[in-house]
Amino acid sequence: MRRILNAEWAGLLASIVVGAIVLAVVSPNFLSEFNFYVLLRSVCVSIIVAFAQMVTLAVGQMNLSVGALGGMTAILFGGMMEVFGVPLWLAVPIAITIGVLGGLVNGLLAARTGINGFIVTLATASAFTGVNLGLTKSVPFYKMPTALQDFGNGRIGALPFLLIAPLVVSPLLALFLFRLPIGRRLLAVGGNSQAAALSGISPGNAIVLAHCLSGFLAAIGAVLAVAQLGSAQPLIGSDWLLLSFAAPIIGGTALAGGYVSIIGAILAVLVIALIQNGLVLAKVDPYWVQFLLGALIVATISLNRWRARPIRLA
Amino acid sequence: MELSIDHLTKDFLSVRALDDVTFRIRAGEIHALMGENGAGKSTLIKIVTGVYKPDSGRLLLDGQPVEFSSPRDALAAAIGAVHQERNLIPRFSVGENIVLEHLPTRNGMVDYAEVHRQARAYLDLLDRAIDTRAEVATLSVAQMQLVEIAKALSLKAKLLLLDEPTASISGHEAAALFDVLGRLRAQGVAIVFVSHKLEEVLSLCDRVTILRDGKIAAADEPIASVSRGRLVSLMIGRDERVADMGVRNPDTSQTVLELRAVSTSFGHHDADLSLHKGEILGLYGLVGAGRTELARSILGYGRITAGEIRVNGQRARIRSMNEALESYRIGYVSEDRKGEGLLLAYPVKENIAITIWRRIAGILGLITPRAEAKAAGPFVGRLAIRTPSIDAAVSTLSGGNQQKVSIAKWLAAQTDILIVDEPTVGIDVKTKVEIHELIAGIARDGVSVLLITSDMAEMVTLADRILVLHDFRIVGEVANDHRYEGTSAAVMNFIHAVDPAAAGA
Repeated sequence: MRRILNAEWAGLLASIVVGAIVLAVVSPNFLSEFNFYVLLRSVCVSIIVAFAQMVTLAVGQMNLSVGALGGMTAILFGGMMEVFGVPLWLAVPIAITIGVLGGLVNGLLAARTGINGFIVTLATASAFTGVNLGLTKSVPFYKMPTALQDFGNGRIGALPFLLIAPLVVSPLLALFLFRLPIGRRLLAVGGNSQAAALSGISPGNAIVLAHCLSGFLAAIGAVLAVAQLGSAQPLIGSDWLLLSFAAPIIGGTALAGGYVSIIGAILAVLVIALIQNGLVLAKVDPYWVQFLLGALIVATISLNRWRARPIRLA
Repeated sequence: MELSIDHLTKDFLSVRALDDVTFRIRAGEIHALMGENGAGKSTLIKIVTGVYKPDSGRLLLDGQPVEFSSPRDALAAAIGAVHQERNLIPRFSVGENIVLEHLPTRNGMVDYAEVHRQARAYLDLLDRAIDTRAEVATLSVAQMQLVEIAKALSLKAKLLLLDEPTASISGHEAAALFDVLGRLRAQGVAIVFVSHKLEEVLSLCDRVTILRDGKIAAADEPIASVSRGRLVSLMIGRDERVADMGVRNPDTSQTVLELRAVSTSFGHHDADLSLHKGEILGLYGLVGAGRTELARSILGYGRITAGEIRVNGQRARIRSMNEALESYRIGYVSEDRKGEGLLLAYPVKENIAITIWRRIAGILGLITPRAEAKAAGPFVGRLAIRTPSIDAAVSTLSGGNQQKVSIAKWLAAQTDILIVDEPTVGIDVKTKVEIHELIAGIARDGVSVLLITSDMAEMVTLADRILVLHDFRIVGEVANDHRYEGTSAAVMNFIHAVDPAAAGA
């Protein structure tokens, strides 16, 4: 109990509980099974997208192409099934491979050329979006396999099938980052790349690995988004960037690298979803959600700065 | 393991950090590596640990030549080190930091119980009080230093290099470290020990090698055969290195900057200082003594927790560099020329005129390139800044000329007080003399200079008086007669007078 109270995400958990109680009191619809289903369904893609950014933040990099890579992967995934009739069981691993390759390009450019990862992924973001729009001319692929659509819409009570993805990915990612030596090396480079190098760790390799993992997760997000929408929309990913930074940072992940919180990122996504859900239930103009999200990020980061101890390094 | 260092040479741009260095470290000995700041000790250690590659020369381990292309290669060759700068992962636990090079695993996963068990064993050799589960970022500087030493011990290296391992730890902890080193020596480990603390070196080490300006001043001398006095004179060198900067007449009746019993958030305690008009007041101390921090506290970066600062007799509350310049006419030449002192990509004229943009701005507050050139131009000639043109980017200039630009901007601003921090680091000998003449010249013109330097020769050349800073306290004052031997000995005596107690010797 004490550990939970001391955890960095304790505040987030509290705001979720309070927020849920308030919503339940104000709007009886909040507690309905269908509303819970809608709420949970909306967080599945977001959690994976948050992880995709979090792993690059972990190593001290950024991936501005997270949405562009997701969008490109989504239309290639949908396109290969509609145009070439690739079966679903094959299309999913191909899509994930595409994501990893996109991440590999980012990682190699960032680690080997010495160009700042921010610039690299800003450029590749444009390139990935270009491939997306060039291939689709902005026209979605609609004929998705029924199995995929059923997966995207199915539920058991309030629990959407889509929830399987974050339920599987989150513990595996935790295992990777906190238990596997390779994951520890990734975080060590993010924490102090010079010190990691002196401990025999290659910062370059860690950066490439982090970007590949980011691409891998972005591709999973893309597949989930296609399943959720029932079609491969060229616009998938275009609204991922803000959330991909907001959720990990609100959840306690260090912007400068070296520290991540998986639970924090998940709770942050839930908080954001609750706000959106609450505003819908309260019939607030959905466009104002954007404003509140921005305000929330600023507030949380200010709070973290204020809380952080000044650490003296010689 | 025996390490032979064979004719190593290393240049950084125009500066020769190591010049044909040859000596040998035998198995089962503690070998002291000594020299003044900037003599090349840390560079040498970084070559042996694979961080830098030598420009020429080679390393031999047990007679076999080796080439390291990364720190990983050196680790694989059983070479461990504690470097001078902190090298820990701040958000990792103490335990994981200690065994990071060889994380114990079970079924492919990190076995944290084992991590903490192993780390505990190494840490217990030095300090039983530090919790291996604590996050490194929460530790004190001394505790971090101990964690680094434990980390190096955990490598079970056959060659262990320690670069000032006792700089920030207490005498009790240092004694524990010397115990461990004695045992490792008995096991045949070769140990290189860098320290400025003479007592430590004399009581702990078997042999000593001394570097001076990147060259060997003495190699492989048995410690029993060198006296303390000879050690110091070998480090300092006998050649006359103090140029005559002419006579200055500081006006001691006029105090322009005064600290009265100042304590700061950096940890300075009870610091008194008075700088007179036209005087060059030196502030000398070893690495980590708190010199730059004191300067920054005066400029408002770091809180004054007690005492007061007075400028021209008036109590001053300076909160930022901007206020220091605009309200008190104080300038600051940063030790980090490239990072803080200059806008590298900008032309010479803008770098000089930056401090007076407000003054030269014309109608609508706009600054014209012509006004800048007019304001900055005279300084290029006066300081003999070698630049193809006043429009050339500062990054294209040599280090020495960059430094002249960073001084020129404060002259342009007509500051009364100039704090100069390490003005000649990484600058070749010829330009160094020019910069010394420049600083002496502005003092003669009535500017008061607070000079921070770890270069003793520079200090003796320039300063009128020298304040000695040690462990964030001013421990003494030396009137400079511009004679190297006497003045440097007096300064070092103040530092070492504090040391024996601190070193537990």
